[in-house]
Amino acid sequence: MDVFTLAFWIITLIWFIGSIIKDKKKTIDSVKMSSGMMKHIAGEIVAILFLIGLILTFLPPETIKQYAGQSNSIVTTIVFALVGCITLIPAFVAFPLAGSLVNAGASIVPVVAFLTTLTMVGIVTFPLEKKEFGTKFTLIRNSLSFIFAISIALIMGVIL
Amino acid sequence: MSKVIQFSRRNKLLILVALSYILLSIFMPDKAVQSLKNSLYYIKEMLMIMPVILLLTALITAWVPKKAIEKNLGKDSGIKGSIFSFLLGSFSAGPIYAAFPVCKALLSKGASISNIVILLSTWAVIKVPMLLNEAKFLGPKFMIVRWILTTIAIFIMGYVTSKLVKKEDLPLDDIKENSSVDTLNISSEYCIGCGLCAKIAPEYFKVENKKAKVIKQCIKQDIKQDIKQGEMKIVNEAIEKCPSKAINQNKQVNF
Repeated sequence: MDVFTLAFWIITLIWFIGSIIKDKKKTIDSVKMSSGMMKHIAGEIVAILFLIGLILTFLPPETIKQYAGQSNSIVTTIVFALVGCITLIPAFVAFPLAGSLVNAGASIVPVVAFLTTLTMVGIVTFPLEKKEFGTKFTLIRNSLSFIFAISIALIMGVIL
Repeated sequence: MSKVIQFSRRNKLLILVALSYILLSIFMPDKAVQSLKNSLYYIKEMLMIMPVILLLTALITAWVPKKAIEKNLGKDSGIKGSIFSFLLGSFSAGPIYAAFPVCKALLSKGASISNIVILLSTWAVIKVPMLLNEAKFLGPKFMIVRWILTTIAIFIMGYVTSKLVKKEDLPLDDIKENSSVDTLNISSEYCIGCGLCAKIAPEYFKVENKKAKVIKQCIKQDIKQDIKQGEMKIVNEAIEKCPSKAINQNKQVNF
């Protein structure tokens, strides 16, 4: 286990023990709630993790590099951002997926665009959002999110 | 049999991936082994980080004073309101659509458009437990830079949206005001299936097929007459604690 993960384990465990001492019932109830939510997406987590293996086997690093390797390709970035808009996977598993692409040689620019639109822009949840907040709000919020996702990605490509 | 069908309907992607592996191991066994090996690293890493994230989400739910934060989101809350929206989103749990009813409730309490945009966006992209996961798989530096840029973007988006959209543009609340009988309701599209309500008030709520259901009505009049006041309190607690505010009781809404 790397230092980073270890540190978080320690901090979280200390907090957890403190929490149990302070209010056992409240702590246990919250843990049950979050495991309930986790169970909800467990199938997708397992699916994506095994999908990563398939992707890495059939898309060799050379292919990934060729299509998503250049940090200056605006077209690739927009395509990744669009994929993020229509994909509905928990952000939770998007990170290992994104990590595997970067490790295989993809540039971070399209990957960041994908990560940001995945969570912020929702084509699938558009009808729900429209019902609650109206068409104008929903359209503006989603378009702004899309524009900013691309900008964040491009800026990150320059910084990192 | 129907259980199998239900399971596959809910886990289409999982079935698809499993089928690919089965076909591979028949026709190209070496590729199947290679795929498994490739996945192994990510599965191992995920198993190490998942319990921490689960625990952290639970601790945040238990101890971050959401009520106090929500109180600071009202009208004329200014920059303080924006910061509180940001905090509320950062310490939330669940997908973005779970934030819709929460935002709706805050709007009716006087939260501004820009604060709602800030809350929705923060909820979606930069939740604290997710940052942990991001740092794990893409590196702490990547996470921090993306966090800073996204935070700036979110505040700009809040400002721009508040200039373009006015409160009058939003649809009005469709809560029925006419009923004198308060029936319990769960909007299933927002329920994230956490089962908290069933834990708090098992007599009234039950989780079925990953969604909570009302199994017994809690009618106010009855309560006044013969049922213990405690029952009403328990139901109210369940309504209040629901992380996506998916439970409501007609008219006498809790927010």
